[in-house]
Amino acid sequence: MIKRLSDNIVSPLGFSSEACYRRVCLGESGVIPWKDPTGTDIPLSRLDKEKLTQAFTQTCKPKERYTFPEQAMLLSAHLAVEKAGIDASAPGTVFVLSSTKGNIELLSCPDHGFEKDRIHLWYMANLLAAHFKNPNQPIILSNACISGACAQLAALALLRQKGVEHVVVTGVDMASDFIVAGFQSFKSLDQERCRPFDARRKGLNIGEAAATIVYGRGENAGIYLRGGSIRNDANHISGPSRTGEGLFRALTSTLQSITAKDLAFICAHGTATPYNDQMEAVAFARAGLEHVPVFSLKAHFGHTMGAAGLLESIIAIKALEEGVVLPSLGYELPGIEGELCVSTEMTGTDKRFFIKTLSGFGGGNAVLLFEKHV
Amino acid sequence: MNKIVAYCRITDNALVLNGNRNFAPPVEGTGQVRLTNLYRALGLTYPKFHKMDNVSKAGFLASELVLRSLNYNMEVPDSSTALVFANSSSSLDNDKRFQETLAKNAYFPSPAVFVYTLPNIVTGEVAIRNKILGETSFYIMKSFNAEKMHIFVEWAFGCTEIKQVLCGWTEYLDGHCDVLVWMARKKADTGLNFSISNINKLYVDPYGTIDFRS
Amino acid sequence: MEQLILDLKKQIIEVLNLEDITPEDIDENAPLFVEGLGLDSIDALELIVLMEKQYGIKLEDPGKSKDIFRSIATMAEYIQANSSR
Repeated sequence: MIKRLSDNIVSPLGFSSEACYRRVCLGESGVIPWKDPTGTDIPLSRLDKEKLTQAFTQTCKPKERYTFPEQAMLLSAHLAVEKAGIDASAPGTVFVLSSTKGNIELLSCPDHGFEKDRIHLWYMANLLAAHFKNPNQPIILSNACISGACAQLAALALLRQKGVEHVVVTGVDMASDFIVAGFQSFKSLDQERCRPFDARRKGLNIGEAAATIVYGRGENAGIYLRGGSIRNDANHISGPSRTGEGLFRALTSTLQSITAKDLAFICAHGTATPYNDQMEAVAFARAGLEHVPVFSLKAHFGHTMGAAGLLESIIAIKALEEGVVLPSLGYELPGIEGELCVSTEMTGTDKRFFIKTLSGFGGGNAVLLFEKHV
Repeated sequence: MNKIVAYCRITDNALVLNGNRNFAPPVEGTGQVRLTNLYRALGLTYPKFHKMDNVSKAGFLASELVLRSLNYNMEVPDSSTALVFANSSSSLDNDKRFQETLAKNAYFPSPAVFVYTLPNIVTGEVAIRNKILGETSFYIMKSFNAEKMHIFVEWAFGCTEIKQVLCGWTEYLDGHCDVLVWMARKKADTGLNFSISNINKLYVDPYGTIDFRS
Repeated sequence: MEQLILDLKKQIIEVLNLEDITPEDIDENAPLFVEGLGLDSIDALELIVLMEKQYGIKLEDPGKSKDIFRSIATMAEYIQANSSR
């Protein structure tokens, strides 16, 4: 069990967790109209790059040029570390990076002027550690859309080791043309704002964000990551299992002593693709969770890929802290076979636990269990 | 004691299974051609292989060899095995291929190429082939680091359900292949001790005198 | 029509990486998915790209194109009726 010391979100809804959470509560969305190179509507949750660079320059005082994903990553980590008040240069602090495509945008502009290795995720992670003058080699998870959960489980494992005092987990991904084109070729992008779990859901929106959680040890009041699991569907490299096999197994392995009635809510993956949302419902029901309120944050932030596990955990943590179950934006018409309790309005809860779930390409499924200590 | 019970090393020059370099007929060619020739030399019939990117092809073949040498039963769903893989360049080799399908004058993004623009797809391929339902994780590091691999595998062992971990270094970029896959087993009687120095030995000198049974 | 069917077979073998299969092995009336060539959902998406790239035909998602992709013969018929090239 590890304690969340601080967090930060850099997203179109703001550059702090608090700002983003507040706007989520108001039902706001960062998803804006956008077109792909063929002229097709593909709404995106897109960071204003001018604002990003301005905030990054003010906060991080860079001495050299950084790419946008690097700026978002460093800004988010910087703000979270500052808030936690930890010594990020200490040997007891370890950095963990979660990203699917990092600096992939460099591939499309050969004249970018950066060194050749800049495109690698390890290079990006080294920039993160170097920004804080941290002596440790950062750990990098690139496990498709579940990366952000895997990175938090790495923090849990790291803090069991002697000598590790703090772990800074940062996730980042951008809506590069590369990723947009790929999802478009998969016919999995909605031409409007996405509608998780709704009957009219047609696919996802890509989202840009960086998010950071600083973890440490602790015993007093606060939010704790209790545990979690990763399980594979062993079914298909891009399609979810119809029986929700991996997610079901990750749920049962994570919950063990925790029952459905202990859970305030499930912050689901809820990408709004027809198959994903149905698969999740099947897995939740198999695990006896069909009556636990479920919401997806994808209509607020889009699918932020490598950042999703962190960003969505942070918003859910804020909700748990305030004793609130968030409504699932974009959901109106029931559109799932079988039972599923999609949250439609903001309600109060005095329960102390929630789970965050993620599923992704490669057949991976991840579940994290959080707890509030009062 | 946790042990390494089998391993396979595939590089541009080397092809070794459990210390033995004569386990298959000689394989000609370089890069992707060599991987396809190895697939044929092993007498495999798995058409999906040809759809994979090079990282997946290389990792799949090495995993196949390791699991075969252990008489692994790929018909039974298995939740006691985890996959912990890593590499340096993620899926850059295949990312370049996908980028080519986005040319301004010929913009036809290929879904079959896109799906492999993630490094962890190889773990999905191995999981599907062998019905492995345990954890699958993919890490990135600048270069092969036995100490880090050892730590990550120990983390996977931390789950009581997991009895063995198929570990992989699956690096493939621009025609160059650098792959090591091994099976680490919890509390095994025989095999090499699962230690940082032994992992390094397999990577650096896979032909070396390895006392495999003790 | 015969030429179109042969072209399609060659193109499909190439874009779907059906390494061990030759055009002669493929029965143009056999189902493409599950049975027959045993294609899957990603292959279906790749066929949509093929239709656009080679024949200038834009198709919606594979769910709506099921009848077109039933066999190579049905694909050829659709191309003949709709191709802009």
